[in-house]
Formats: sequence, C-alpha cells, structure tokens
Amino acid sequence: MKLTTLLATTAIAMALAGPAYAEMKIGILAPTTGSEATYGQDMANAVNLAISEINAAGGVLGEQLSSVIGDDGCDPQQAVNAASKLASSDVVGVVGGYCSGATVPTLKIFGDASIPFVITGANSTKLIPANPGNAFMINSTGNDQVAKAIEYFNSVGAKSLAIVNQGDAYSQDLADLTKKDWEAAGNTVLAFEVANKGEQDYSAIVTAIRSANPDAVFWTAYYADGGLLIRQLRQAGYQGTIAVGDGSNSPELFSIAGSAAEGVIGFSNPIAEFLPGAKDFIADYTAANGSPPGPYAPLAYDGMHLLATAIEAAGSTDPAAINAALMDADYPGIAGQITFTPENTLARSNFVVLKGNGGKWGLAQ
Amino acid sequence: MAQPRSNAFNNIIAQFDEPWKRYAAFAVIVALLLIAPISLGPYATVILTNALLYVVLALGLNVVVGYAGLLDLGYAAFFAVGAYTVGILTHTFGLDFWLTLPFAVGAAMIAGVIIGTPTLRLRSDYLAIVTLGFGEIVRFSARNMEITGGASGISGIQQPWLFGWHINTPFEFYYVFVVLAIIAVIVSVRLQHSRLGRAWLYVRHDEDAAEAMGIDTVRVKLAAYVIGAIFGSISGAFFAVNLGAISPESFSFQQSVLILMAVILGGMGKIPGVILGAFIVVLAPELLRDLGEYRLLLFAVGLLLIMLFRPSGIWPVRGK
Amino acid sequence: MTIGVRWGNLCMSVFDIFLQQLVNGLVLGSFYALVALGYTMIYGVVKLLNFAHGDVYMVGGFVGFLVLSVVAPMVGPGWTGVAVSMVVAMIAVGCLGVVIQRVAYQPMLNAPRLSILITALAVSLVLQNGVLTLTHGQYQPMGADLGFGGVNLGLLFISYNQMILVGTAAALMIALELFVSRTQYGRAMRAISIDKDMCRLMGINVTAVIAVTFFIGSALAAAAGTMAGAYYGSVWYFMGFLIGIKAFTAAVIGGIGSIPGAMLGGLILGLLESFGTQIPGIGSEWKDVFSFAVLILVLVLKPTGLLGKSEQERM
Repeated sequence: MKLTTLLATTAIAMALAGPAYAEMKIGILAPTTGSEATYGQDMANAVNLAISEINAAGGVLGEQLSSVIGDDGCDPQQAVNAASKLASSDVVGVVGGYCSGATVPTLKIFGDASIPFVITGANSTKLIPANPGNAFMINSTGNDQVAKAIEYFNSVGAKSLAIVNQGDAYSQDLADLTKKDWEAAGNTVLAFEVANKGEQDYSAIVTAIRSANPDAVFWTAYYADGGLLIRQLRQAGYQGTIAVGDGSNSPELFSIAGSAAEGVIGFSNPIAEFLPGAKDFIADYTAANGSPPGPYAPLAYDGMHLLATAIEAAGSTDPAAINAALMDADYPGIAGQITFTPENTLARSNFVVLKGNGGKWGLAQ
Repeated sequence: MAQPRSNAFNNIIAQFDEPWKRYAAFAVIVALLLIAPISLGPYATVILTNALLYVVLALGLNVVVGYAGLLDLGYAAFFAVGAYTVGILTHTFGLDFWLTLPFAVGAAMIAGVIIGTPTLRLRSDYLAIVTLGFGEIVRFSARNMEITGGASGISGIQQPWLFGWHINTPFEFYYVFVVLAIIAVIVSVRLQHSRLGRAWLYVRHDEDAAEAMGIDTVRVKLAAYVIGAIFGSISGAFFAVNLGAISPESFSFQQSVLILMAVILGGMGKIPGVILGAFIVVLAPELLRDLGEYRLLLFAVGLLLIMLFRPSGIWPVRGK
Repeated sequence: MTIGVRWGNLCMSVFDIFLQQLVNGLVLGSFYALVALGYTMIYGVVKLLNFAHGDVYMVGGFVGFLVLSVVAPMVGPGWTGVAVSMVVAMIAVGCLGVVIQRVAYQPMLNAPRLSILITALAVSLVLQNGVLTLTHGQYQPMGADLGFGGVNLGLLFISYNQMILVGTAAALMIALELFVSRTQYGRAMRAISIDKDMCRLMGINVTAVIAVTFFIGSALAAAAGTMAGAYYGSVWYFMGFLIGIKAFTAAVIGGIGSIPGAMLGGLILGLLESFGTQIPGIGSEWKDVFSFAVLILVLVLKPTGLLGKSEQERM
C-alpha cells in the first residue's frame, strides 16, 4: 500500500514538474475575472493569437510556445498570488498587466525571479520607480497621456478644467499629473473631485461642476462609472467638453451613457480599427474569438511578438540576455514602433484623440 | 438537516479531545509546516505564507468575536493600521523595521480604543455596523491622504535585517510567519484560560449579569478590541514588509469579511477550528482556481449552510 | 472651487447652488428613505437588522433590468416600461424577501444574537456573490431611455425624471403609511413591534404578519433598485453595499422602528450628503466618510434617533 502510494505520488510529481519535450512557457498576467474581465480576456486572447502565429512560423529558438494564465482580478493581493504562480511555473517571460494598482506589487516578484515582464496595459507613472529593471512598458505612460490631453484642451481653447477621478491608483495618478501640468501652463482647475466606486449618484459632483462651469471635464478613471458620470452631467445641463482617459476607451461606454456620450472625447492608445497595419490582425482575431478585438488587444499582441523577437535576438532563455535584447529593441508593432527609454518606458507617445460618434468611437479630426 | 455529515465530523473531532492528543497533532502540523517549503516549492510557500498570515488575523478576530462576542465587521482597520504605520515609518522616515513595531502596537492600541469606545453601549446589530463604518473610514483615509500614498499606496518598502540576516526571500518570510503563527496560537490559548478569558465568557453570555458580578464590562470589552487590534497590527506590519507594497484595496470590507469567514467556518472560540478556517479561506481559492468566479459564491453558501445547520462552525465549541 | 462663475453673463449664485443641492438631496434621500423603510419595518417585527436588505435592493434592480429588457420592445424603454418593470420587480423581490425570512431567519429565532447576525451577513454575501457570478462582475446597462427634459428655473435645473422619481417614492411612502395606520396588518405590525409574545397570546398570526412585513420592505427596496437602475443608468452586483449602510444610517437618524422616522432620516441624510461636500475641507472623496461619521455620532449621542421611542432597552 505504502509503496504504491509512494510511486503514485512520484509519478504525479513528475507529471506536474513539467513536460520533458521542447516547449517554452509564457505567462499572461491579466484580469480575466472581476470588473475588468472584458479587458483581461481580450488581452489574453491577443497574446494567444500571437503565440499561435509564432508557433506556426516555427516557434522561438526551435521550441513551441504555450501560455499560462495568471488571473490578477485587478486586485493587488490576487495579483501577487497570480504572479507567484507564474514565477514558479518556469515561464520564460510574462506578458500583460492591465490594472496599474494590481501590477505594482508584481514587479518585485518578477524582478526577484528574474523574469522579463512586458507590460502591455498598465501605465501609471508609479510603475516606473518600482521597476526592478526587468519590466518594459509598451503602453505610453500617464505622462504621455497628460501631454496629449493638454494638447487637445489647448487646441479647443479651454482655459479651465474639472478633473474627476475614482480614487484608485491609475485614475488618481492621471488626475494628479493633469492638474500639475495644467496649472503649470497657467490654466485653472476649477474642481477636483473623487467619485467613489460603488456610488451611482454623482449629483454632488455634477452640481459642483455645473456651478463652476469649466470649459472641459476630464474623467480619468474607468468606463463603467464614467458612463454614469457623463449621463448625469448631460442630464444636469452641462454643455462643455467632456473628455475621458484611456481607462474609459471601451465601446461599452456608449451603452451605459447612452446618447449623452455623443461628442465625448477620449484619449486612448490606438484602437485596432484605427491602426493602418492592423487589418489582418482584426480579421485573424475575430476569426479565432468570434468577436472583434478590444482596445488593448493590439498592444498585447505586440507585446508577445516583441518578447518572442527578443528571445530570438538573445539566442537563449537567459533572463539577462533577454533583458538586454528588450532594452535595445526596435520593433515595428501594429500599434506603432517600439523602442524604450532608459527607464524602460515607451520612447514615443502612442496616444490618439477619439470622439464619440453615433454610439461608437471615431478618430477626432 | 444535514445530520449524517455532522455525525462524521463529530466522530473525527471527538478523537482529539484529550489534551495530549491535541498537543501531538499540533506538533505534527508544525513539523509539516517546517518542511513544507522544501518539499512543495516556491509557489506553495507563498500560498502557505498567506495562510499563516490569515491564521494570525483570524486568531486576533477570534478574540473579539469568539471570546468577547463582539461582531467586528471592520477588523481590516487594525490590519491597515499596522501595515501603514510600518510603511510610513520605514519608507518615509527611514526607521528600521524592528523599531517601528512598538509604534505599530501603540497605534493598534489607540485604534482599538477609538473604535471600541463608541460601541460599548451598543447592541450587537449596531456594533456590527459601526465597526463596519470604522473599517471603511480607515480605508478611505488611507486612500485620500498623501502621507499614506493615496490610492497608489506605499511601494518600495524595505525588507528587514535581523542580526545581519536579510529577510527578503519568500522562503525566509515563510518561516517568520510560522513563528508569528505559533506565537499567536500560544497567546490565544493563554488568553482563553486566563481570568480575562473567563470574564469575556461571562460578558458574552449575559452582560448585565456580568456587571452584577462585578466585572468591569467596559474594560473587558476594550481589552478585547485592543488585543485583537494588536494581533491585526502585527500581521499588518509583517504583511507590509513581505509584500513590499501596500495599497488601500487590501483593507476593504471584503478583507474583513474574509477574516470573519475564517473565524466562523472553522468554529468561533475554538483555536484549532479557527486555524482550519484560515487555511480553508486561503487554500480554497488556489485549489479551486478552475472554478474562478464561483469561489466567493461557494464560500457564501458554505457560510450560510454552516450557520443554519451548525451554528458553532465546523468545529464545535465544547460546553457552550 | 469658485462659486460664482461667468456663464455667458449670468452667475450661478450661492442660492442657486443651494437650491440645486436641495433637489439633489431630495432625490438621493428618496432612495435612502425607500430602503430605510424596509430596515425599520423588519427591525420592528423581528428585532433584527437585516444585513441582506441592501442586496435585496440590488436584486430588485437586476429583476427590473430583466423585465425591462422583455417589455421594452413592446412599450418602449421610457417610464412606462420602467413602471411595469418596477411593479414586477416589487412583487418578485417581495416574495424573495419572504423566502429569505422563512429559510434563513425563521430557523434561527432562538439562536444567539451573534448567530442570527452572521446568518444575515451570509444571506447578503450569497445574494451578492450569486449576482457577481452571473454577471461576471460587469456593470449592466439598464437600457432605459428616460430623456433629458426638464424645467429651468433660472439656473436651477430640475429634470422630469427627478420629479417622477421623487413623486413615485412619495406615493409609495404614503401608501405604506396608509397601510400601516388603516389596515389590520398594519396595526398588527405595530403591535408586534411593541410586544410580540403578547400578540401571539392574543391570537394574532404573528408568522403571517412577519411575512407581510418582509414582503413590503423588500418590495420597497426593489422599487428603489429599479428606479435607481433606470435613473442612473446601470446596475451592478455591489450596488447594494453602500446604499445598505446609508439606508441603515437613515433609519437610525430617524429612529429605528419608526416609519415616519425612516422617511425623515432618508431625506436628512440625502441633504446632509449633498450639502456636506460643500463644506470646505470635505471634498467629494470624503463623502462616504462623512456619512459614516454621521452614523457613529448619532449612535453615540442619540441612539434612539429623532423620532424613535426612548426605550430602556439597550440599543
């Protein structure tokens, strides 16, 4: 009895220890459950699409790729568990990261395990100082978004702004940065409000904004509550410009805000349908998943290809070599050229300005 | 009623009623814990560390809920106090971690008094909501203030040094938490059998009678909060340096509920049950990962079933 | 935050803002009052704070959404559709309330207080996580199209929706008041809240009255949930949490166990919240802290609330 148990346990342990055949594992860190699940699922799909393309072309260094998903649920604690799981799954690299607040604590884990981490969504500036050196952000950071936003507000002659965030790491960071740069340019912030998640009634904020009557309102948080705020602003009669950040670039914004979202401005990383080189990607993604790619799919797709290219360039799975290859990367992604600054952030701004038109996003002229 | 199930459990539990058997079981478990990281690998180590963290937290809440009968729905506030005290003092002011521990304990005591005092004359329903309110107040304060790092929290917290030994790998933190958990168990046991523990028992059963007997219910209840707070705060302190980064999301109502579930699922007032509850609460999501979004629902249903069919939790309290 | 700004050549004066916040407070307060009534009524008959009440509100919102998606093709997504959804939701969720009472609370009547409370918490979590699982945690747009029309009184803007909302809430509350004061059930409810055992001895069917109480309380919460979904735009599995606590605060302010108290408390809390964020130093990020602080202060300083009875019994 004991011997059989021992043998059985050993067999199971060996099976769990990983396959002996040539296969390289890539970790995907994304919120596949929770409030941001649509984004997370979307990212995972895009990475898997990239992996299937790479495998069809012969794999990386002669080996086929497979993916392991770490679900961070947009929650820091869960993210830590997911990251630990990935770190101990013998992954060669990790692609993903959407919620900045959840991604920050994972940096240390991947850093300690020396696993290269290509961050395709999270872009809070708080990630930069926490980066142990092996994480690479391919989504333009908050700094770039603020620059784009201010550029736009200037272009429409706005002089006063109301900024509303949701009290989470990403939106608060974006709001603070915007306020700082906006005021430094000599303009005014007439209202700086926080909408608590779970509240549906923003009437106090709406009244404050209406009474201050700024030229524009900038919502820096996610789409679900952004939709509510836009609706309530328009219902209350606010007529100025309403702009949202890239956490609200989901098409779902329109179903929640309804007709109030007409003309809303969005600052976003490139959505697939506006990318010149993404036609094939859209077709392949839709064929594989039954629905078109979401806003963060192109970046996740690029991130996987970037990692694969770096591993090839490094010639081995040695983390230091992959790191060096990533630092020198000059990769033509479908979302734009990818090169890195010394801080491992994207060397150019990939933000575009969108405008709500007929119930969906279009490029603002 | 689920009679067959309870009988089976009863039989297993009945095996451990003699003290020597319990000590032996405890020793075996500690031995297993000590060799676990080596045999199970880094991922399991991280999960087990988490479980041990919840053991300490659950034992702390058990003092408040299980011993003193005060339904605290905002226990995460004490957890936050410890974590942020350490985070701020080490990161912003550069203090050594071990020096910050007395501050964490002090802050916990103050928090325990602040949160406990308004609830002294309240009945359990109101007490529950007030403590919930305090939990939320602490979380919002952590989110809104600059000194706590706002919504992004505090990151880059340095790992501690102990006589030249730098505690910074999951492996090393695991053993630190094993020690913490053992201390927590010992303290809980001593408390239960102390005069204070008996006073809590009387107050829990009939407060007016306890007053008549000469027990100072105010001091006794506050003592429960303060001691529970200290457990929570110490957990928070080590949580902060283990993770290296803390943010307000870790101290939400959901966290308080999770700790409460650990206390109840295992059995209020009974230490082995609470430990079991903590392991259930941490291990189940990892083992049931495939069930994804059903996890929380299963916990909730489990909690409801236990309350309906076994009001004293999985592990019954002998001689209520 | 400036309070007088040029909008064309007009200025929104302090008075205008005051009036606007008054309107906001009334709308908000109506929701709080509807949910607070359920708390207070249930507390009156079973002396239990029904933790799950906030989540009953949430389920009401979802049922409303489901019904609306069915009837919208027929009667349109406007107020007619919402009204139908509301009525159906009230009935359905009222029944749910009775089921919860029978299944979860009835067996626990003689258990220790702590156990009942935890059971109520468990019910709340089951409802919440059940809906979480079904909706994958996503916000569900309600699909109601209520239009943006309204009345302009100077710079004060009151939308038609707001008027309908407050009007409906008021109508429901008046109906409740009539029920409680004029009918047999209503009298029995009040009697039970004073002395339950006496009522049993006098032949009152306590069980039935408790069931009716849960039905009505839950129905009111469901009405609030449906209207909230339609007015604000979406429903979410977690939307019951905050309103549960706020409604409880309202019930406490007004005096738990008192029906007029719940209505009054709801209004007061709504107004407090709307005006509270105007206080310098308390920005919108402290709004909820403000409400919790009010709750704690009331419980410490005047636990029986404004209209509650001064009982000798420990609160």
